[in-house]
Amino acid sequence: MDALLDIRALSVSYRARSGAVHAVDRASFTVPAGSVVGLVGESGCGKTTLARAVMGVMPASAQVSGDALLFQGVDLLKLSPRERRRLAWTKLAFIPQTAMSALDPVYRVGAQIAEVLVERGGFSRTAARARAEELFAMVGIDRARLAEYPHQFSGGMRQRASIAIALALEPALVLADEPVTALDVIVQRQVLDVLKDLQARLGLSVVLVTHDISVVAYACDRVVVMYAGRVVESGTAEEVLERPRHPYTMGLTNAFPDLAGAAHTLVPIAGHPPALDYPPPGCRFAPRCPFAQERCRTLDPSTEDAAGHVAVCWRAEEAELLRIQAARVETWAAMG
Amino acid sequence: MSAVPLLDVTDLAKHFPAPRRLADIARGHRPTVKAVDGISFRIGPRETVGIVGESGCGKTTTGRLVLRLVPPTAGHIRFEGVDVASLRDDALKAFRRRAQLVFQNPFDALNPRLSVRDSLAEPLRNQGLPRPEWDARIALAMQRVRLPDLARYLDRFPHELSGGQLQRVVLARAIILEPHLLVADEPVSMLDVSVRAGILNLMREARDTLGLAALYISHDLALIRYVCDRTIVMYLGRIVEDGPTEEVVRNPRHPYTRALVAAVPVPRVAQSRAPLPIRGNVPDAREPPSGCRFRDRCPQAMPRCAAEDPPLRDVGNRVLAACHLL
Repeated sequence: MDALLDIRALSVSYRARSGAVHAVDRASFTVPAGSVVGLVGESGCGKTTLARAVMGVMPASAQVSGDALLFQGVDLLKLSPRERRRLAWTKLAFIPQTAMSALDPVYRVGAQIAEVLVERGGFSRTAARARAEELFAMVGIDRARLAEYPHQFSGGMRQRASIAIALALEPALVLADEPVTALDVIVQRQVLDVLKDLQARLGLSVVLVTHDISVVAYACDRVVVMYAGRVVESGTAEEVLERPRHPYTMGLTNAFPDLAGAAHTLVPIAGHPPALDYPPPGCRFAPRCPFAQERCRTLDPSTEDAAGHVAVCWRAEEAELLRIQAARVETWAAMG
Repeated sequence: MSAVPLLDVTDLAKHFPAPRRLADIARGHRPTVKAVDGISFRIGPRETVGIVGESGCGKTTTGRLVLRLVPPTAGHIRFEGVDVASLRDDALKAFRRRAQLVFQNPFDALNPRLSVRDSLAEPLRNQGLPRPEWDARIALAMQRVRLPDLARYLDRFPHELSGGQLQRVVLARAIILEPHLLVADEPVSMLDVSVRAGILNLMREARDTLGLAALYISHDLALIRYVCDRTIVMYLGRIVEDGPTEEVVRNPRHPYTRALVAAVPVPRVAQSRAPLPIRGNVPDAREPPSGCRFRDRCPQAMPRCAAEDPPLRDVGNRVLAACHLL
């Protein structure tokens, strides 16, 4: 497996009044070249922070450290801020959740794309205009609309335009932060299809940050599940979603309604994630986990790798049995 | 559906003035958006009905009209046989007690300066319920939303509660007056998946045990399917389909419903990735197409669809749909 991105024990902490907040704690996973990886978890799990740390766009109060952050074999953690900035947008690109934060309301959309091409890609004005038209054609927007302002675009079109901007300089990796969350379901599907299609045609890798496991199931080859700042499970989408080995992933899949399947009873996970300034010792999910044992509450769980399906859980080898138990409401209700 | 509907909505419309563009001003034209444009439906006692549709379809406006939070442009809403528009004074107060709203965002729904106890007592005071009953009513409501540990929760303030606990308190406040109808607009959209499941289960329990009717409004068909007996699909201010939820989900009749059902991703890797049976984008609500409003996006549109507005009619299996093809 050829890893385009290899994240090894990456941590991000913020200084806060109460001390350090460990938003991401020793996260490790790889993004193979030409794949779509879903980075999934609930609010505050660190998924957006992790994506931003890879992109190198972090507030000054954030401290990023780790064993390595290898992109095309180069350790990004060892680069100077200047070298880092040069990589951003040319090799790595970012699609934010709301396109309005990528687009400036006072400039025409075409001018904004041209700006990226000229300033960062060294295009001439004429070449930039031609490339902007090509990019709009790629994301399925009529090139006449390059002359319009962002507010004249619908939500789906704005998100397509921010995909166009992200792809302008032919990056190898696109980090997309909840790119379809704010969109209606039909538009969401259309934008995901544009992104998937371009990813396949251009041989890109995409990290899709989302809270929605059905979006992951639809669009991703691989999945990384985060909980309370840590990666708890990773593997192919099929392995992780159909045969989860971590109780949190089991909980997430059982809590999610499935429109195409039988109307099974949803299984809630009682409690809420821990505060990241004082995380519990041992496994961070232990306080909500119906399967937690003494060692789970005291020792950091072991990383169990079964042919590339990684679960960070002391009981991962019992996963098949735990999955059956986790599907029952009573199993989790006892935790409330 | 029962012979005597709890809620009977007929030819309901709500038009809002739209922002005037330069061309409108030049022509002296005052454009309107027909947010809701002639819809009729009924909700029986104990029936749970969902309205689903995309942004701008009129679902939120419908909920606000039903609760008399905004006046209709045309049409009637009868609640327990009485026209809601005619209600005054005591009758209006009684309506406010019987038809309750569940707010979308639990983080905004409660007064941050009131404890849980005071938030729950407020509607009891407003409705003039005898004070000796308050504690018992508060305890009962908290029990129904599965927060039975009163000592733990009643003296807390909203900022001391998690999103899931807050939404339970919001729900307790809505059911404390034992309403006959609950209207909830996107009741779980602000919550994380693991917490959302608990609230959805509560909504189901409310349906099964409290004997109230409910109107749930959401963009999320999977959520509507989970809690609603019947589903109404709206598109550009109109109802395009109305039927038993499983029928609507499993065997959608209207071409728009078919596209909507096909667009919902499911949490399994094996799923259809076929192109959606729909074209283009939602048109400008100020100038909807003539005839069927869905026709310019419909893969099966015929000349008749531009000429004639299809009425909502019975297409079998208790399903109503508005389409010339059916």
